[in-house]
Amino acid sequence: MPLQTDGMVVRNKKIRSHYFILEIYCPPIANQIKPGQFVMLRVSDNASPLLRRPFSVYKSYPLSHPEKRKRGYLFIFYKKMGKGTQKMTTLSNGQRVNLLGPLGNGFTLPPLPSSANCILIGGGVGIVSLYPLAEALKDGKLSVLIGGKTRNDILGVEDFRKLNSTIFTATEDGSLGVQGTVVDLFISETRKFRENEGCYVYACGPVPMLKALAGTIKSKKFICQVSLEARMGCGFGACWGCVVRMKNPKKLYQRVCQEGPVFRIEDVAWE
Amino acid sequence: MEELDLTVRIGRMLLRNPVVVSSGTFGFGEEFEDFLDLSRLGAIIPKGISLKPMAGNPPPRIFETEGGIINSIGLQNPGFRQFIKNKLPYYKNLETHLIINFFGNTQKEYVELARRFDDVAGISGLEMNISCPNVKKGGIVFGTDPQMAYHLVRAVRKSTALTLIVKLSPNVTDIALMAKSVEEGGADAVSLVNTFRALAVNIHTKKPELGNIIGGLSGPAIKPIALRMVWEAGQAVSIPVIGMGGIMNAEDAIEFILVGASAVQIGTANLINPRTGLEVVRGIREYLTRNKIDSIQKLTGTFG
Repeated sequence: MPLQTDGMVVRNKKIRSHYFILEIYCPPIANQIKPGQFVMLRVSDNASPLLRRPFSVYKSYPLSHPEKRKRGYLFIFYKKMGKGTQKMTTLSNGQRVNLLGPLGNGFTLPPLPSSANCILIGGGVGIVSLYPLAEALKDGKLSVLIGGKTRNDILGVEDFRKLNSTIFTATEDGSLGVQGTVVDLFISETRKFRENEGCYVYACGPVPMLKALAGTIKSKKFICQVSLEARMGCGFGACWGCVVRMKNPKKLYQRVCQEGPVFRIEDVAWE
Repeated sequence: MEELDLTVRIGRMLLRNPVVVSSGTFGFGEEFEDFLDLSRLGAIIPKGISLKPMAGNPPPRIFETEGGIINSIGLQNPGFRQFIKNKLPYYKNLETHLIINFFGNTQKEYVELARRFDDVAGISGLEMNISCPNVKKGGIVFGTDPQMAYHLVRAVRKSTALTLIVKLSPNVTDIALMAKSVEEGGADAVSLVNTFRALAVNIHTKKPELGNIIGGLSGPAIKPIALRMVWEAGQAVSIPVIGMGGIMNAEDAIEFILVGASAVQIGTANLINPRTGLEVVRGIREYLTRNKIDSIQKLTGTFG
């Protein structure tokens, strides 16, 4: 059940160039958030910026977590881009921040027991919202495809490596891994799969990437879910500001925050 | 001191307190139930309803500016029938007033909707939207022409016995004249302001930030203009005025009450802090206690 609560900033660490990890102690949300769900963070107490900002959670540690000192923590991996994230970089240890969450619908996992191939595809900072899912899928056959503009934009490799997954990287400038996009990588890797093998695909990244992915997924063997980003007003379904256009004319505009943020790739009208 | 009296009368409704949550910023109410007890609000006004379902405007629909947001949702709603079937039952368990915000493309549609809602149990009042800046037909067309507004309100008045509030647009030259016109048409109250027509530009793409190009500006950025308009409207009419426009906290709400509002609506703030309505009620209570005023009604219009 979503709730509104204060969290305490424990650390706000620059990872590299524009990328940061904000660690927040917030047991009520850390204890219940599921892979693919998000939180709305109030970055400022005043009107600048006015709206909360939506963030997926990179790591979260429920109260049942074996390592006692980690319990109740949430990690938000963010990229400094606009006014909101700019302000976020100034948050420091001990500061209180207000959160709403967990929000939205998480990913649907393959039915258990599963021997299905699972492929996670992340573009840029999009990969970080797939990390909790990777943790949930780590006992199966898991491939992680990470793409970015340059090697500086390839995130989370060390963490994914610990999960027993096979990692592939692609950069547009060729500075790390294969030169090209993560969708190119997806095409070449999945060519190896046989037609009768079911394959669960989970993707998060910029819209052009997801659209390109939608164009390549024609075969029924792929069950593909995408996690969408959108400018949001509220994050909990009240304002209808964050809608995405769907193919079904009876459900033309669906709220990313409420019906999403995870959608089946074939349901979205990519434009 | 005696018990504080926070009640206000709007038409035939007696609200437990003057804090109402505004249409378009409160979903259908159920979205807020995890965050606050809706029964402690003066009234709730769900998203505006039309006769037929409306798909709304293409995204992007929302853009943040300095101290405000511009939206172009486009009145997306399930239409009268689906609303009655799927949404109305939820309100039965709430102990607050339900005010229905509605709009049409033609006078006939406004009248038809008012007549239909009049037959529905559990509704305390109607708020007629003649001020949405985001739809081409109807809405704001009626809200910017005093004569048209007068005739429209008069026709709707005849088709319902429910308390009738008319929500006014600030996109007019003379708000006092608009308020006066709808009062003469038979409105029980006016609520204002709706959003200001606004535009946001992206200098990198050289394109508008909103799919609909034009949207409506709300939030703290509009508060001083909204206050001025509520003050002017309040002086022009003898029916209650419900003030809104950028109210973020109790201090803002008290400013509106001082300049003449009998009640207030919380809009944009609901999106940021879903508990704002209740915090405003608490703050008003504290203000009255501190200033030894035993009734909120005694505060209305005491400015100047």
